[in-house]
Amino acid sequence: MIRMPLASASLLAIAISLAGCGEDKAPVSQTPAPAASSASAPVAVASQIDEAAGKAVVSHYADLALAVFSDAASTGKALQGAIDALLANPTDATLQAAREAWLAARVPYMQSEVFRFGNAVVDDWEGQLNAWPLDEGLIDYVAADYQHALGNPGATANIIANTELQVGEDKLDVTTITPQLLASLNELGGSEANVATGYHAIEFMLWGQDLNGSNPGAGARPATDFVVGEGATGGNNERRRAFLKAAGELLVSDLDAMVVQWQAGNADNYRASLQAESAENGLRKMLFGMGSLSLGELAGERMKVALEANSTEDEHDCFSDNTHNSHFYNGKGIRNVYLGEYQKVDGTTLTGPSLSSLVAKVGAAADSALQADLAATEAKLQALVASAANGQHFDQLIGADNAAGQQIVRDAIAALVKQTGAIEQAAGKLNIGDLNPDTADHTF
Amino acid sequence: MIRSPLTLALLSLALAACSPVDPQQAVSSALTDGVLLPAYSSWAEANGQLAQSGQAFCADGQTLSDARQAFLAAQSAWAGLQPLQIGPLAEGNRAWQVQFWPDKKNLVARQVQALLKSKPALTPADLDKASVVVQGLTAYEYLVYDPTIDLANAEQKARYCPLLVAIGQHQRALAADVLERWQAKDGMAAQLQGFPNQRYAEAAEAVAELLRTQVSALDGLKKKLGTPLGRQSKGQPQPYQAEAWRSQASLANLAAGLASAERIWRGAEQDGIQALLGSERNELKERIDAAYSDTRQRLAALQRPLGELLGDQAGRGELNALYDSLNALHRLHETELANSLGIQMGFNAHDGD
Repeated sequence: MIRMPLASASLLAIAISLAGCGEDKAPVSQTPAPAASSASAPVAVASQIDEAAGKAVVSHYADLALAVFSDAASTGKALQGAIDALLANPTDATLQAAREAWLAARVPYMQSEVFRFGNAVVDDWEGQLNAWPLDEGLIDYVAADYQHALGNPGATANIIANTELQVGEDKLDVTTITPQLLASLNELGGSEANVATGYHAIEFMLWGQDLNGSNPGAGARPATDFVVGEGATGGNNERRRAFLKAAGELLVSDLDAMVVQWQAGNADNYRASLQAESAENGLRKMLFGMGSLSLGELAGERMKVALEANSTEDEHDCFSDNTHNSHFYNGKGIRNVYLGEYQKVDGTTLTGPSLSSLVAKVGAAADSALQADLAATEAKLQALVASAANGQHFDQLIGADNAAGQQIVRDAIAALVKQTGAIEQAAGKLNIGDLNPDTADHTF
Repeated sequence: MIRSPLTLALLSLALAACSPVDPQQAVSSALTDGVLLPAYSSWAEANGQLAQSGQAFCADGQTLSDARQAFLAAQSAWAGLQPLQIGPLAEGNRAWQVQFWPDKKNLVARQVQALLKSKPALTPADLDKASVVVQGLTAYEYLVYDPTIDLANAEQKARYCPLLVAIGQHQRALAADVLERWQAKDGMAAQLQGFPNQRYAEAAEAVAELLRTQVSALDGLKKKLGTPLGRQSKGQPQPYQAEAWRSQASLANLAAGLASAERIWRGAEQDGIQALLGSERNELKERIDAAYSDTRQRLAALQRPLGELLGDQAGRGELNALYDSLNALHRLHETELANSLGIQMGFNAHDGD
């Protein structure tokens, strides 16, 4: 038995219960002295953080968030345009173009998720955009062997086929499909598998169910599902078209709203309140976000559950088989925050005062260790991308009989866990102790 | 003849470290002998009986009712281990091999059916390579309780028995391996009793981990009650998200977990965590005792299974009162007890509910 490094010991401390598969956590409030431990917190030591330098890093962090969310919004609008083109003339080519626009929109969005943990304004908002896994039978037709959350009253409600939904004892009028209606249907009947909005609902519209399990292939919805009149397939096509259009509109308006939260010079937005806090608080949020996405969310919920349960149901982008890219860009987002860098969709790179330079001033070794771990993680996540390019996608890698594939996923998880330890060490150098990244109840 | 003063100094330090008067070491050691080792032994024994029962049932030497009893005993022993999940069971994904919860999308049904379709003549070796979802008690429960499976039907029995037998064997081997890791020379028990060792530099680290494990399990009990109660889902009950809903043992499992948590607090002979509180903290001690008693009595007073209680207002009221009691118990540990002992808990990912 190897003695555990302190970092992982502190993670284990809050990570004993069995793992869950949910996407929405209670928002974590980040304060420098959590109530639960304030009485036994060590005597305050003089902060090693130069307040001005720290504030500059936090300000640049907000710039990064603004750039990432702005790119998410612009690629979201491009997706909306592609959806309009598909609906105007549903062909294989316009469907393919819409799928490509969706894939492109995921690139900045997945890099934005590092801002989710620690910033309640993002965490409270993101469910409507990226909730998963979903019971797609809520939305549209599904195959006969469709499996859903037990006891979910909306699991087979099929909004597209019905103008009235019976959910438990309640009847809901869904005659007119609008963005507001879709938003109101999220978590219908209390089941978090009821997701009628966001990237994954749109993904299901564009690809359809992936019926290949751990075999090659993604969803294969035909463009004719959006045709009205001759050649139409799927049934209820006017409503399917309305659904896709409304989901696209809601996505764009949600993304635009988040851009506003990060703009400078707005006294009432989230950025203003973040920058009004102490530098230490802002830095804590940054590090907590990096650690929580690394550990509980990406390594745990998005990889370990799917891997250990050999469950394609728990694959992140399960309809499109784009999971490798989603994971890669999640990892990239973590690295961006540490290095203070972001390569925008237009190809230019935003740089500025970084956490890395702040850590390096007080602990050069901790900084280079974390930089090395972040690079190593990127390489391990790149292996998922390379495998997909060679024809083996994430849902195949997690197959029960695919030992070599499983190892690729396992290596990525291990790199993320190691990196989280280095994040905690770096935080310690800045006197930000007890980081306790969200483990989402996973042990590693 | 020792001549170096440094060696002498080190030697006396080492002797001091081994002195039995260290109260932290006394507690860690007493809990290991009085609570942890007996619980792990009972669990291993229950799994031995589960394996035997599965084989006997499939050879027509035992009734379904007997098979269910053996399952319930193994499940209860497992539930009792939750506040004691320190060391080997918390490592190497072993816990998932015993139980897969929450199973939000009914993976157990899907994966059992898929496995038996691809391997009708399933062997224990096949199971060892399969998903954790089908290796443990969750799948066993599905086989012996799910309403869609009728093991009284000979054809179905023949279909499901290879899996039933294989799960029993997998669990027996897993539990025996974990127990061995506890009992081995320099194993987990030894690491909780003599310091320093590879795992803990001093007894205080071991006590801190024991407490964190117990407190985390108390939080887990809240989750196991709060999830079906709908406390995270707009207040709408989710009976199928409960642990052990098929065997209607959700509340029995809670009781087993609560009893173990209380044993960590009290110890087998009043030598548990509470022994570390000086007499000046008697008031806190009494409040924690009272909190355990309140939660225990509320749980014992519930006359119906969880699924039924969730179905009406009165039942939900009783369950919410139990949740509040459990929450008070958890908070007392997480804040006042931890602070009194100078043990850092950190904040918890599930705060705010």
